[in-house]
Amino acid sequence: MTTIDDFVALLRDELGLDVGREDLGRSLDEVAGWNSIHLLALATRLERVSGRPVVLPELLKAGSLEEIYAAAVGP
Amino acid sequence: MSVERVAELFRAGRLAAEYPLVRGLLSAADGDGLRRAGHVLERLRPDDVLREHPDTSVLTVAVIGHGTVGTVVPVLTAELARHGLLMRPFLGDFQGYVVELGDPGSDLYAADPDLVLCVLDPAVVFDEVGVPWRVDDVERVLGEKVRLVERLAARFAETARGTLVLNTLPLTSHATAQVTDHRSRARLGAVWRAACSDLLRLGESNPSVVTIDLDPLIAEGIAVTDQRQSLYAGQHLSAELLARYAREIGHLARHLAGLTKKCLVVDLDGTLWGGILGDDGVEGIEVAGGYRGRAFTAFQRTVKQLASHGVLLAAVSKNDLGAVREALDKHPEMTLREDDFVRVIANWRPKHDNLRELAGDLNLSVDSMVFADDSAFECGLVRRELPGVAVVALDEEPALHAARLLADGWFDSRELTVEDRSRPRLYREELVRKDFLDSFASLDDYLTSLDVRVRLEDAADTHVSRISQLTLRTNQFNLTTRRLQPADVQAFAAEPGRRVLAVRTSDRFGENGLTGAIFVRVVGEVLHIDNFLLSCRVFSRGIEQACLLAVLRHASAAGLREVLGTYRPTAKNGKVRDFYTRNGFVSVDGGADGGVDRAADGGVDRAADGRADRAADGGADGAAWFRHDLDEIADPPAHVRLFDGLAVPETGGTAS
Repeated sequence: MTTIDDFVALLRDELGLDVGREDLGRSLDEVAGWNSIHLLALATRLERVSGRPVVLPELLKAGSLEEIYAAAVGP
Repeated sequence: MSVERVAELFRAGRLAAEYPLVRGLLSAADGDGLRRAGHVLERLRPDDVLREHPDTSVLTVAVIGHGTVGTVVPVLTAELARHGLLMRPFLGDFQGYVVELGDPGSDLYAADPDLVLCVLDPAVVFDEVGVPWRVDDVERVLGEKVRLVERLAARFAETARGTLVLNTLPLTSHATAQVTDHRSRARLGAVWRAACSDLLRLGESNPSVVTIDLDPLIAEGIAVTDQRQSLYAGQHLSAELLARYAREIGHLARHLAGLTKKCLVVDLDGTLWGGILGDDGVEGIEVAGGYRGRAFTAFQRTVKQLASHGVLLAAVSKNDLGAVREALDKHPEMTLREDDFVRVIANWRPKHDNLRELAGDLNLSVDSMVFADDSAFECGLVRRELPGVAVVALDEEPALHAARLLADGWFDSRELTVEDRSRPRLYREELVRKDFLDSFASLDDYLTSLDVRVRLEDAADTHVSRISQLTLRTNQFNLTTRRLQPADVQAFAAEPGRRVLAVRTSDRFGENGLTGAIFVRVVGEVLHIDNFLLSCRVFSRGIEQACLLAVLRHASAAGLREVLGTYRPTAKNGKVRDFYTRNGFVSVDGGADGGVDRAADGGVDRAADGRADRAADGGADGAAWFRHDLDEIADPPAHVRLFDGLAVPETGGTAS
């Protein structure tokens, strides 16, 4: 996974979330269908598709899908 | 792909309407697919599905525990959907299980769950041993926790009607490696296993409890813990282990919903033995000799083992019957013999036709069948023609046949009864009866010569498991289809004015065992028949009339004014829709008040005892009521000999 569009596709396919790019900046509380359990499932999937470990505490601190993406693919 | 189709249906807003398709769409899904489907299915509102498909079996499943256990919810939703069930989830608070189980006023109890999954993990112990810890500390905390769980389970049994599921605590090298000497490390393993052993035995003394042993699941090669998810998110069991656990719970849920499979139908060539009987001859097939023969024998042994647990075994093969019989009887190395099967069908008709006919002969629904075949063509055809049949797709590798058959716990149940052990014999006798019937000119002649004997008596403690099982397994002659756990049956029988009657039957071919149950309750001057069940093996022989009329006679002798019977329609019990009207009852106009005194319908003690009322509850869901005024009670069928063993109560006011 390299692009933000790949990330959106992952959210839709893996978690069944009906989200688009416009939802990425929202607070997680405002993302339709999001719950905290999704984060753990997402962390596992992100590691599998990107082939590198994610820093879970960074993901847990993220307040939006955008911040999750940044934590997962960031330097 | 099938899982994507589930997501598409959801996005199109059609998933609730198309819910019956989901079972088929998920039937071949792997773990990954089920997890993804689960994230979609958990967003579906159960009430939306029930509005479209009111007959869907729905279970309220609570997930509580010590750590983060919510990960199990989506995958469990998918596992239940895979069996055609609908899940209403309740998720407990983080580390909330003690309060939730311990407080009868908790939200958990208010949710009235069918199943409570109390997910225990090693942190239950290691969060409390302090640092540094010694094996003695672990032993002490383990002992405290086991006693705590026993108390909580007892509270659950007093308070709730459902089933409490516990699990063993996995011991990981992460713990054992922190004890550096081998002597202490071995002792840690010993005290740990002793505590797990206590948890496993809890179900023996508390019938509300089922304990899942996680060790055999972990031994399949599943990591117990993901350290990061454990430390950062409090999820002490890995998502993979929780998913595997969810699969086990799916099997249990299927059983609790009355959907346990009853009959295993196996193919022969390529399934029970190698080669083609028609081409290779009896001497030429691979049964035990050689490498592959060994694998086929292992599979036959597994099948025989399942049959010993009351699974009805049948064979359906495209072969000549003579050759098949010769192979089963004469081949010196065969593990399964013709006697092990309730029926061996060998012909050249489509297999789904044979399955349908077999189900008819055994008086079972095709939905209660599991079909195992090494031919992808035959599996595909049966799947398409009979979507309710569970298809176990085998292939050319016989060494994996047994694992594939066992993977889905198709025949899992809570407890084995005496009737289970003898079920295959009983069904074989039943087929002999059918042949006997075919030799008579009229049904009356047949029934007269059958010499049917019925014993009606108050259920004893030893009958509770079997009666619970009848409520779980019986779909056709089940007037209300209330599924009752053993504790529900006990609670019903323990209430004043309520009785559970056991029906035992036999005939010239032998004993049928405990084949029926009647739940009755006296309210004022009225006897309510809350449920009436009869095994599909024995109905339509006058047994049901003989028992019902005996109940009426007892009610009349006790000076009661009338008897009310309830019928609650389901997809499968249409056969008994007119059971009461055929036996002198008149329909009471339906609706909430329709002439039946609903205020007297257990309303007062409803809050006091949820379990007893689980059995008594009726009326709100399409139930119809029927009344018998006891003025004229018909004569029982002449061909049935009834032994009335019902106790006469010391004072008036019960059924006798």
